[in-house]
Amino acid sequence: MRANVWSGRNTVQVENVPDPKILNDRDAIVKISSTAICGSDLHLYDGYIPTMRKGDILGHEFMGEIVETGRGVSNLSVGDRVVVPFPIACGNCWACRHELYSVCENSNPNAGIAEKFFGHPTAGIFGYSHITGGYAGGQAEYARVPYADVGPIKIEDDLTDEQVLFLSDIFPTGFMGAELCEITGGEVIAVFGAGPVGQFAIASAIMLGAERVIAIDQYDYRLQMALNRAGATDAINFAEDPDVVEQLKELTGGRGPDAVIDAVGMEAAHGHGALHAVERVKQATRSESDRGHALRDAILACRPAGIVSVMGVYGGLMDKFPTGAFMNKGLTHKSGQCHVQRYTKRLYEHIRNGDIDPSFVVTHRLGLDNAPDGFETFKHKQDECVKVVLKP
Amino acid sequence: MPFPPRPVDATLHGVVDYSAGAFLLTAFPKLAGIEGTRSARQVRISAAVHAGYSTLTKYPLGIVKAIPFQAHLALDAVGAIALAATPFVTGQWTKGPRQWLPHVGLALFELSSLAITDPTGRGDYHGDVEAVRSANTEDPHRKIYNGAPAVTPATATND
Repeated sequence: MRANVWSGRNTVQVENVPDPKILNDRDAIVKISSTAICGSDLHLYDGYIPTMRKGDILGHEFMGEIVETGRGVSNLSVGDRVVVPFPIACGNCWACRHELYSVCENSNPNAGIAEKFFGHPTAGIFGYSHITGGYAGGQAEYARVPYADVGPIKIEDDLTDEQVLFLSDIFPTGFMGAELCEITGGEVIAVFGAGPVGQFAIASAIMLGAERVIAIDQYDYRLQMALNRAGATDAINFAEDPDVVEQLKELTGGRGPDAVIDAVGMEAAHGHGALHAVERVKQATRSESDRGHALRDAILACRPAGIVSVMGVYGGLMDKFPTGAFMNKGLTHKSGQCHVQRYTKRLYEHIRNGDIDPSFVVTHRLGLDNAPDGFETFKHKQDECVKVVLKP
Repeated sequence: MPFPPRPVDATLHGVVDYSAGAFLLTAFPKLAGIEGTRSARQVRISAAVHAGYSTLTKYPLGIVKAIPFQAHLALDAVGAIALAATPFVTGQWTKGPRQWLPHVGLALFELSSLAITDPTGRGDYHGDVEAVRSANTEDPHRKIYNGAPAVTPATATND
């Protein structure tokens, strides 16, 4: 089969690789109809997530048709159309029984590596380095889905792929980011990053009843999408004025947002000249893994006793974490890889009800063979790129 | 693979720019035994100029991204040749190898570094945006600017 594989920093290639096979009774094989490039794939592409190996198949957002099931999969049949959540979860461990699927205790065969990095192992993830299990990803014609009786959600109506594909990751991730803000109606929420997860965090905050949602980015076209499509009420372009904290105060009568969502993560572009240069050097020389401009500003901007919700991916260590502001303002910090399986049915219902059309975020629909150019276009924000969907 | 191989991308080149600049401005003159001499001043001026235009270069480590990366590389080459030529123009080379060897050594290091730097800057955009545009079956501009709001407010609740 054809698959998009990691070939080194800043290099992916579409190659012929062996077809996946059923390895366990609870596996299924999916023939992929749509897959997407995630913002967090760029951290792999840029070489900032360790334990990648040449030839690893990328991709953790995918959907398709079941073509084979193991003997232990009774809830899915050949021919079923499914969306596959990016965390691989066994469904039986303590974490899964508490709907904490992204920290499943059984799905990561490289738990020892993850434990060294994070103190505890986390769940396996499709196509996301060997820290998360070394599973083959979904930017391919076929994928093996472990624990297929737990993760995939069946799509039983005529919604298009692009209306449901993002149930695999970015819609639930954005929704969880907003849900962690404890929105009950009338809040002001700031969202750092108007990339795909940021767009869904904005849309989700609006769905949950936030009164104002402020989008923050350096690309005007992304802010326009946030305002026109995702429901943002205000926008801050930090390329025009880098003092985001002050602008957020101005927009909120000096108080600051009730909650702030970091939908940026470890490769924040936001930063003030010299500090940004220092962090780039430290990251390039691997003396710091995470550039923290967005998270620092999120902490400084959030109102006292507010919530900082972190959905952007961080990989290791960040310098100059503002512990003073964090502690003295009494902030609550919530984060995590999304427990996708917790949200899929609920958000699927919202899509079916017409409360949201997630396909609004798709700006590029390409063939799988265009994946290398798709990565470059997405990484460098060329051609007004927000989200790339690949069709194998 | 081009020959000679050019594995140094714009980011790594920037790391070398800043770290070499800092080294030449601080420890190098003493280690080379030229501290307090005209040679040390020349090396420090060269390092400061180099670091200065690095901050103005349009590459990942540039602060004010004004100078194209290829122009930066051209300045590197001109600067290396000028540094190597300086002791011979001023005549200081007659005072012993410490008055010209550091200049020539540093120039050779710079030119070697240039020889293995990818002039396209790899790490900057190296995709084919025209191929993407022609293959794309979606219209980004329409999706961003012309579509209706995709979300209905207050339709979900916190569980």
